[in-house]
Formats: sequence, structure tokens, C-alpha cells
Amino acid sequence: MILNGFLLKNPLRVKGFLLIGLLLFFLSNSFISFSQSAEAEKNFAVCKVCHNIDGPKLIGPTLKGVTERREEAWLIKFIQNSQALIDAGDPVAVKVWEENNKIPMPPNALNEEQIKDLLLYIEAGGKVAGSEVTAEVAVEEEHAISYDEATEEFLAEMKSNDYRHMQATFIAMIILILVSLFDLVVTKFVTQKWILIVIMMIALIVSGEVVFVEATNLGRQQYYQPEQPIWFSHKVHSGQNQIDCQYCHFTADKSMHAGIPPVQVCLNCHNQVRKGKITGTVEIDKIHAAWNDKKPIEWVKVHNLPDHAYFNHAQHVNVGKVECNDCHGPVEKMDEIMQVNDLGMGWCVACHRDREIQFSNKFYEQYTQLQEAVSSGELKRVTVMEIGGDECQKCHY
Amino acid sequence: MEKQYWQSLEEYKELNEPSVLESKEPRPEFSVEGLDESEIKGTSSRRDFLKMLGFSVGTVALVSSCQMPVRKAIPLLNQPEDLTPGIPNYYASTFFDGTDYCSILVKTRESRPIKIEGNEMSEITKGATSARVQASVLNLYDDARLKKPWQGEVESSWNSVDREIMMALKSHSQRNRKVVLLTSTIISPTTKELIKEFITAYPNIEWIQYDAVSYSSIRKANELNFGKSVIPYYNFDKANVIVGFNADFLGNWILPVTFTKQFSSRRKLTVGNSDMNRLYQFESRLSLTGSNADYRIGIRPSDEGAVLLNLYNEIAKAVGGQTYNAPAASIDVKKAAADLLKNKGKSLVVSGTNDLSIQLIVNAINSLLGNYGTTIDLTRPINLKQGDEEDMQRLVKEMNEGKVYGLLAHNVNPAYDFPDRSSFKSGMKKVALTVSFAETRDETAQLCDFVCTSSNYLESWDDSEPVLGSFSFTQPAIRPIFNTRQFQDSLIKWIGLKVDYSTYMEEYWKAMLDQHEEDVNNFDEFWNKFKHDGAIHHVFDQTDQPGFTPHELKAVASKSEGIEVVLYEKLAIGTGKYTNNPWLLEMPDPITTATWDNYVCVPVGYADQMGLKHEDVVKVNGEFELPVIIQPGQPQGTVAIALGYGRTSAGKAGTGVGKNVYHLMNTRKGYADVSGTTVTIEKTAKSFPLACTQTHHNMEGRPLARETTLPEYKADPGSGNAQHKIDDKDNVTLYAKIDYDGIHWGMTIDLTSCTGCGNCIIACQSENNVAVIGKDQIRKRRVMHWLRLDRYYSSDPDNPDVYHMPVMCQHCDNAPCENVCPVAATNHSAEGLNQMAYNRCIGTRYCVNNCPYKVRRFNWYDFVNNNKFDYNLNSDLGKMVLNPDVIVRQRGVVEKCSLCVQRLQEVKLTAKMENRAIVDGEVQTACSQSCPAGAIQFGNLKDEKSVVSQNNKEGRMYHLLEYLHTLPSTSYLTMVRNRDA
Repeated sequence: MILNGFLLKNPLRVKGFLLIGLLLFFLSNSFISFSQSAEAEKNFAVCKVCHNIDGPKLIGPTLKGVTERREEAWLIKFIQNSQALIDAGDPVAVKVWEENNKIPMPPNALNEEQIKDLLLYIEAGGKVAGSEVTAEVAVEEEHAISYDEATEEFLAEMKSNDYRHMQATFIAMIILILVSLFDLVVTKFVTQKWILIVIMMIALIVSGEVVFVEATNLGRQQYYQPEQPIWFSHKVHSGQNQIDCQYCHFTADKSMHAGIPPVQVCLNCHNQVRKGKITGTVEIDKIHAAWNDKKPIEWVKVHNLPDHAYFNHAQHVNVGKVECNDCHGPVEKMDEIMQVNDLGMGWCVACHRDREIQFSNKFYEQYTQLQEAVSSGELKRVTVMEIGGDECQKCHY
Repeated sequence: MEKQYWQSLEEYKELNEPSVLESKEPRPEFSVEGLDESEIKGTSSRRDFLKMLGFSVGTVALVSSCQMPVRKAIPLLNQPEDLTPGIPNYYASTFFDGTDYCSILVKTRESRPIKIEGNEMSEITKGATSARVQASVLNLYDDARLKKPWQGEVESSWNSVDREIMMALKSHSQRNRKVVLLTSTIISPTTKELIKEFITAYPNIEWIQYDAVSYSSIRKANELNFGKSVIPYYNFDKANVIVGFNADFLGNWILPVTFTKQFSSRRKLTVGNSDMNRLYQFESRLSLTGSNADYRIGIRPSDEGAVLLNLYNEIAKAVGGQTYNAPAASIDVKKAAADLLKNKGKSLVVSGTNDLSIQLIVNAINSLLGNYGTTIDLTRPINLKQGDEEDMQRLVKEMNEGKVYGLLAHNVNPAYDFPDRSSFKSGMKKVALTVSFAETRDETAQLCDFVCTSSNYLESWDDSEPVLGSFSFTQPAIRPIFNTRQFQDSLIKWIGLKVDYSTYMEEYWKAMLDQHEEDVNNFDEFWNKFKHDGAIHHVFDQTDQPGFTPHELKAVASKSEGIEVVLYEKLAIGTGKYTNNPWLLEMPDPITTATWDNYVCVPVGYADQMGLKHEDVVKVNGEFELPVIIQPGQPQGTVAIALGYGRTSAGKAGTGVGKNVYHLMNTRKGYADVSGTTVTIEKTAKSFPLACTQTHHNMEGRPLARETTLPEYKADPGSGNAQHKIDDKDNVTLYAKIDYDGIHWGMTIDLTSCTGCGNCIIACQSENNVAVIGKDQIRKRRVMHWLRLDRYYSSDPDNPDVYHMPVMCQHCDNAPCENVCPVAATNHSAEGLNQMAYNRCIGTRYCVNNCPYKVRRFNWYDFVNNNKFDYNLNSDLGKMVLNPDVIVRQRGVVEKCSLCVQRLQEVKLTAKMENRAIVDGEVQTACSQSCPAGAIQFGNLKDEKSVVSQNNKEGRMYHLLEYLHTLPSTSYLTMVRNRDA
């Protein structure tokens, strides 16, 4: 156990990154619009795949003024299940369907309240007081660029600072040792030999620490940002279009793997969206090429854990309610994905020691001692560690 | 006198003859840590060291300057709805290899079958499996599998093979020349229909079914007695007294998985239930069933008829039936007869001997006892073992006479396992068209003109009807890996139909249901349910229990001269179909604990007389040489040799292992019987190393497997377990007792129901990626199995009591291993698991030395991607069987049973996602899940109502070596034998 503590006693760096990560997270949050109802915005993420509120027509019609064009009751029915309405021969529904190349709108499991909320959100143009971000791409472009440059610079700086700092320290220490040695043997400028020896000792320890830290990082891939076969921008999809992470990575709350979206998921939208703002048709054509040639896209895996570590996305996303950004960093600000955290064991354990679990889950009812401690107020919050979250065999088996 | 337990004969002699201690040879000097000489001394010099140093520094420099490898994440183009990477899918299917039947669930991960589980929906096998079923998944990834159809000595294509075969078939058909379709037993109704159709298309074809080990005399006897040529369904669970004659029904006889389930269901002693069946076993070798018998009597094979007829007469006298003249037998059957008479209608007599006169006596006894309709059900015949020796002998004769023009061999290998294989082979040369449907180039396929390579059963469609009215479904769990085609699709092609077999099957079922006037409107629903459940039960044609027609009974006097050989199927290898399966080759036999080889089991007295030692080589019949194992319980005048070895074309692991002894089958009476042939044994000067796991887990005579008898148990549930209370009282500790919160995983193992079938060993190996290490490593006592089956003997070596005891990591609360690890690689979890972090282990092996249970395993080598261990983990195909949830351990680390922590984590996660508590029984380790006897139970000890908590409250409960106060989470329940006080 003593050793266990020692091995993990490098929390400083970890905390630093966590701070930066959190800072970024909050920064990014401040740019996301605040609607009257956060839920409506979330629900709209599905609509947004085919509809603009303002701007050019995508797969479905632009939604500006839709609440004036149609009755609310009709809209509710249509949103819930358009196909049923068309099948029932509703003239308006059939007309809309025919106008839009007979592509039916998929049914949505939303209740009346949610749809009313959603309509309010659409009426408000998807942007509420002060926010500039909408679902419409063109409007956002300028703001986004200025912002993203800052983010990228920031990330780059963070990255280079880290290295430069380490390298500089190491070189300085080696020079210090050499100079001291030279003085000790040849120039004898410092008469008190012990001073030189102390300096050399300290320099040796500091450079040793640098070597230790660097050695620990061997095999880790912090700031890894490989070139991908398709220039896919998370910034465009997740940041500007605000597509929910789990629209594409749809197994993240079910399976251990978050899942790289199959080509068919890309085609859900890119069947219609054939041209991008940044790369034109070049990159999107690659998706269609993959589909037509029946050749899956070979993405480069960015976040790699060693084989002896078991990680389950469902556990963290579904049960632990951990946000994607907590581990993956500000994905919505990155064009090509970069690994922001080192994914080292210290980083994992630091979070396990600190993070509160969803103790209200009925699974924890059997933990009678913990339940008692919580109800008596002895324990303010139950962290992952309290239920054995820092044990070896939670991840290594 | 206190009962003496011994694990090897040397130990028995030491216990009984103190003089042996002094006179005996010194124990073989084992080198340090089991290293052999070359490993200790090595051949490297200082120069080698410097070379290695320079090289490794250079490598390190080179490697560290390299970049991390680029890893790809390749999603599917179009992901099917029910396929999620990371989440296993289970497909209900059926294992049937021509001999064994089991309804199963196939666990697939990312579309790759990795584990076989039992199917609880089946009323035949009820969720149980056997070792061979568990290991069958590895056969899917066998490197010996053919990748294409073959023509002669070269790979071919389906088009060319089909064209030529169809041409030949047509020409033989036009000239009305005889072609034989030789298959294993077919239990698939659709396949039978298809074969019928095939014969309609080519009327010159005759269909013959052939079993390597046949029980056709049971069918013949039932035909004579009841007018029905069937094997009846046996209800071992309804029998209070079972008398077995050479019927290894817990090991290999007809439906061993079902019978184990039935038999052990009557061996579940709980508080308030002391009902228990009693098993008498008369047998000519120590079988698994015999090792579980309450009374076991060794007989010579030739004695069996006389003993049975005496038993018959004894019963007939009591109930007033006709008696027959019986030769005198030295065995007293009065006790068994009395017990049978006390349980009329609730008893069962079975014989595994393939001899008509014996089966007729068995039928007569069962009829006298009124067992038909209760423990024996003739209305629900078992469809297995349909082969008839007569047909096969006729075929071989006709082949040699040149009367057969074509031979299509499906799922049979007579060139290896026919008793007179040389005449079969010579006959094959005279056949114009020979086609094999084998998966590998086995002995028969090698002699064939064409090999229409079949798909593995995990890649095929089929249906099965093992017992009348019990159907099960076979569906592919993976697309054919290679360019192979299942047997049925080949037939369909040659008939000229334009459907695939799955459609054919669907149509057959539709027509069949229609014919039986079943409602077919919801056929799709029915079909989907059938596919989903994997098993349905529906008797279409009810029949009555037929009346008994007596038949003349006779038995010949036993031979007293000569040595009779008993051939048997090993639990692992079977008839030889799995001789290339490294898991099964390395599985220790539950009785002899030998791996990797076959050998001659000789009786103790005979060995002394001949001066034979363990591993001495003997010449059998002056014909072939095999090493001996001195087997306690082997009756005098007999020896036993396992079938299934001596394959000349099995694959990289199995070719050339052991000797083929099928020619020693006893065919004198027209039936191929495994026992009764007389052989000669000569001692040679040679010896042959055998890899037994027998002596290296020796627990030095401590009372580990505790036992009592049923009357004593009824008087005191703690009988035989008095030590438990003493140890419990005396144990004090300085450490604070661990108080678990919420979950404390625990296991109980009931020695009364455990039969020692070894299913758990392979289930564990399959689940936990346990490596196969080969015979040499086993001899160095480096067994890797996380779960071992200890086998103890007590009492008389000529007829010992046998104990089977599964031992895995006991997950001690006061674990001795944890204290000695210098790097805290092994430590205790909040759920009571003794965890092992492989990536932290530095390989000091202190824990291995400090574990009193010797359950920790050390990786002396990298067993993966290492061509020195040429089994399954060095090929891309073989590695596909690995469970992705469990890491493959590297060289230099210690590993051991984790209580299947990956399964515990999975169930916990599911419960949390569904916002509920864990239900007892939901969490199963690999061993507990597949245990056909239900002996291993697993659950949460903190849950008062769980099965494990209830078991631990029993008087029979004890811990292994509990006086060490290691506080294991695993407990054992005393073995109770149903013997009179």
C-alpha cells in the first residue's frame, strides 16, 4: 500500500492539466447559447441534421416562420409521426412530403410539452439574448474562426510550453553539472569544494526528475494529433453544428467502446450535404467513395489505452455521468482530434479519488454501511474510491 | 482406524509399510524450481553476455527513437442494429458431432465466437455442458482446417469439384451402380428428409450410418423385447437405486451431460432434505461413474454376463419370475438385488456393454422391477447412436469385392476408427468415386478423390432431434471463415435444387407442421422463437409404452485366464475427433491426471507381479508399445487403454500422439464392443515420460476432502466435519477482521454432487485465455490451469474410494500471498477478491511459494506468438478464440483465478445501468455457470438469501486448510456417500 501511494504521488501535473481542461471547458461553455430551455436545444440537435432555422434549405425546409405557416396541433402530430399523417392522407402533410423529394421525416418520441418548447425555441430563431451561435453555419463562421484560432494557439502553446520547459531544465542542469565539474577539476574558481558538490547533487536530482517524468511519458501519447484519412472536423460538426457526440458515437452509453461511426451514419446527413464550407466536395466525396467501393474508412485511433487497462465507456458515460469533454478535452474546438490528457494511470486514479458517484442508484442500496454514513451526514459525498474505485482489479484483469 | 487418503501409490505404500520408507529409492531429485539442466547451467558465456548487453542497449536506443505504432480504428460500413462492438451477442445453437449432443449458447464478440455456454431453455441438457462442448469453439479456429475443397492432393474450386462429382454420380446412377452415403448418426429431421430426396434423385445410393463406438445391441435388445428398435430415454433423476454395468453414464455413455444433470439432482443435500440416490457400479476399469459410486465392484468384462444373470435370478426369485441357469459368479449381488427390490419402479439398471445377451438381461431385470414407464421411457427414444455394425461390415465386404462404385463419407473417419481399418482402406482403393465432407484432411479424407470441405458447426444451419419430441436449432454464429460449404448444401447442389439449406430447413418445417395439422399461420413467429430459444419440446406422434416380450437369457462362464483389455473414451479426447484440440489434449484426465498421452492402465497387483513401474513401456500383443500407469481400482486380469489417440493426420498438436487401438475392439459377437478382447502384455526395458499432474499438487495427507456416510449425516449434519468446529474455535488473529460493505463474492463447492467431469477446467480456460503449455512444461509442474481437479484415493488400492475436488484461488481474507508481494501486485479488494495486477508483477514468485493452496501460476515463457509453443496461440486463426475482456498474460508474471472478475464487473455495470440491485444467480463464474452437476455455486456472501450464504450455514461447510486461518471466501461441503452404516 505504501508503494501504491508512492507510485501515484505525482498529482501535481495531473491537477495542472485538469485545471486547464476545466478552464477550457468553462470557456467553451460560455460561448454556447443559452435557450429558455436547455432541453429544447438538445432536442433540436436531431432536427438540425436536416433543417436550418434560418438560411438555405437542407434536406428538409428551413424552419423560420413555421409556427406561422402551420397550426400548432398539426405540427405536433407531424413532428411526432409524419408518416402516419401522410398515410392518413392529410393534404398538407402529403404536400410537404412531395415538396421535399418524398423523403419522410423520421418519427420523434417527444411529448406535446417538449414539442411546444421546441417550437418556442425555433420561433426564437435558435438564439436567445446575446448569443451569436445558431444552427446556421454561415452566421457563425466569422466568430468561430476568431475563437478557434485562439483555442488552437492555446493548445499549441500548452503543448510546446510543456516540452520546452522540460528540455530547457534538463539542458540547464547538465550544463550546470559540467561547469561545476570543470571548475572542480580545472579552473578551481570556487574554493569551497562542497558548494560545487551540492550544486552538482541538486542538478543531478532535478535532471533525474526530468528523466523520470519523461520516462513515465514514454508510450503515452499526450498531444497526439495524427492526420486522418478524411479531413473530418469535429469543430464543424460538434462545435458549429452542435451535433450531439452520441449521435455519431452512439454506443458510448451502451458499450465499452464509444464506437467510431459506421459510414452509413455519415451518410445520414451527407447523402444530402455534399459540399462543405472548408474543403468543398473533396473530403465528403471520400465518404461516398468508401460506401460505393464497400471499403471501410481506416481512421487513425487517437486515444489508445494499453491492453492491460480495461476501460468501459458505458460505465463512465451512462452510470458515472461523466461528460465526454472531461477526458477528451474541448473536442468541439478541434478540427482534427488531439489527445489532450495523458491517459496515464495517475490521471485516471486522481479522478476516481475525487469524483462523486450517483449514489442514488438502486444498485448501491446493498451498501448498508455507506448508506448509513450518508444518511447520518457523516459522509458528505460518496466518491468512486469509497466503493473500491482505486483498486487494481477495477481496470486490470 | 482413521481413513487414509493417498494421492499416489508410492504414498499409499509409505503410509502402510514404514519399511518402504527406508528401503525405497530416494525421491527423484528435482532441480531448482523445476528448471531443467540446460535452463540452470545455460550455455551462455561471458562473451554472450556482453553480446546480449550490446545488442539490448542498441535495441533500446533504436526502439526509443521510434514512434508509437499507428493504430487503426476501422468501423463497419453499415453496422447491423444488433451488433455493437464491445457487447457480446449470444446465439442459441446445438453442438452435435455425431456422438455427443448439447444445446448451447454461443457467445460472440465482434461477430467472433469465443465461448460456449449451456442453453437453459433446453429440457435435455438444461444449461449444462461438457469439457468437449466447451472446447469445441477452439476447433473453429483450428489451423488444420481446410480452406477450400480439395481434389486429389491439391486445392480446387467448388465449381470444378461439383462438376466432376455430379458427372460421376450421374454416370453411376445411369448404370445403376451402387454408391454409398456413409454418415455418422444423423439426428436432424431436415437432413434426413434431404438425404431421402438425395436418394430419390440418385436411386443407386444407399445410406449407412456408422458410429465409432456403437450401442446397437441396445436397439436390437429392445426390438426383441418390445418390437421397437430404439434406445429409450433414461430418467436417472427418478431412480433411487441405480446399478450400472460398465456404463460410464457420467462420462461418455449416450447423453452424459443430461445424465450428469439428472444424477446429481438427486445428490443435493440441504437442511431438511436428505434424499439421495444410491449408485452401484460394476465395472472393468475405474471410470468417472465408478469413481462416484457409493458401492463400486470391479469385474472382468467376461464376468459381466454371469453377474447380471445372477442378479436377474436373485430378483426373479423374489418376485416370482422365470429363472435361468447361470454360471457361478464370484461377485455377490445380494445387496444390490435387495436394494433394487426395495425400490421397484424407482430403480434403474444399465449396461454400457455392446453385447446383445447382456442387454437382454438388463431389459429383463428392468422389466421385473417395473422400471419401464418410470425410469425408462420407451415412448421417448433417444435418437443418438443409430449406427449398425452389420451394415458397415457388409459395406467393407462389398467394397473389397468391387461392388461399390462410390463412397460419400460425412462426419466419419473409418480409415482411423473402424476396427478392421486395413480392409476398409483396401476397399476404398477399389471404389471409383470417393468423396469426404471432412473439415480437415483426416485419415479418410486423405484417401478420398475429393474433399468437399465442410463448415464448422458454428458456421452451419441445422436442426436436431436428440430425443423424440425435443428439437433444437443450429444456427451459424459466424459466416464461414474459409471457402467451405456445409454437407447439406453440397447435397442440395448435387440434387440440383436452387435453395440454400437454411431455406430448405424452413420449408421442411412448414410442410412438417402442416402435415401434423399444426397452426402454421404464425410460422414466422414460431420460427423466430425456435431460433431464439434454440430448443423446443413438442411430441408430434404420441406412442404408447409397449409391452414386454420375454426372451431367452443366457450367459457364459467368465474366463479366468489371460488379460482382457477395456477400451474407453477419455473425457477429453472422446473417439478421436478432438485429438487436435490443444485444450483437450492438455486437460488432465480426472482419474489418472495424465495429459497429452495415452497409456495402458494396469492393476496394482499385476504391476507388482510384473515389476512394472509408472512410465515403464510395455508391448501390447507384441504389436505396439505404450507406457503404463498403475491404476488403483483396475480389476485384476484387465487393462484399460483409451481410444482416440494415434491419429496420423489430426493436425499440429494431435498427430502422432499415442497409439490407435480401435483394432482391439471386440467384434466376435457381431457387435463392436469396447471390452473383452484378450491381449498379451510384455515388459520392455524402455520407459516413456508421461505428463501427469498427479504428484505436484500433493497436499501431504491432510484431511482436505472430508467425507461421511448418509446415515451419519442424517444423525449429525456436521459428521466427518468435526475439525471445522475445532479450527473455528482455535483460530485467533492479530489482524482486524475485514468487514465488507455491500458485496463479498464467495463460492461454495459441494463435493457430494461434484462428479469430477472436468468441464470447469475447460470453461475456465476458454473464459480466461489460459495458455496451453505442452507436455514438457507440464512435466516440469508448470500447469497453467487456473482451476485444477484434485483427485484423492483412500482405502484399498484394488478398489479405492475416489474424491474429486476442484481447487482454484480461494480468495482468502487473510491471504498469505498478499503479505509477501514486494510490489503490492497482489492485494485485496473491497469485494473480497484477491486481486492480481499483472502489469505490476515483477515475478519474484514469493506469492506462489507462500500460497498454501498452490493455485498461483507463473508464466515461465511468453506462450503467445511463440512458435516453441505450437498450439493455438501462435497463429492468427488460433488467437481469434481469445476473450477480449481478459488480458493475455506475458512472460514473467504470476496469474491465477480471478473469480472471473470481468463477469462480475459486467453484471455490476448492467445492474447500475438498469438502476437495480444484483439478483442472486445473475453473477456466474465460468466454472459455476457450466457445471452440469450444479456443484459449484457462486454469489454474494453479504446477501443472506443467496445460495452461497445458505450453503455456508450447512453443517457440512468447511474451508480448505482452515487451521491456517486464511479465511477463504471459497468453502467446500463435505462429501456424503450413500452407504449403510
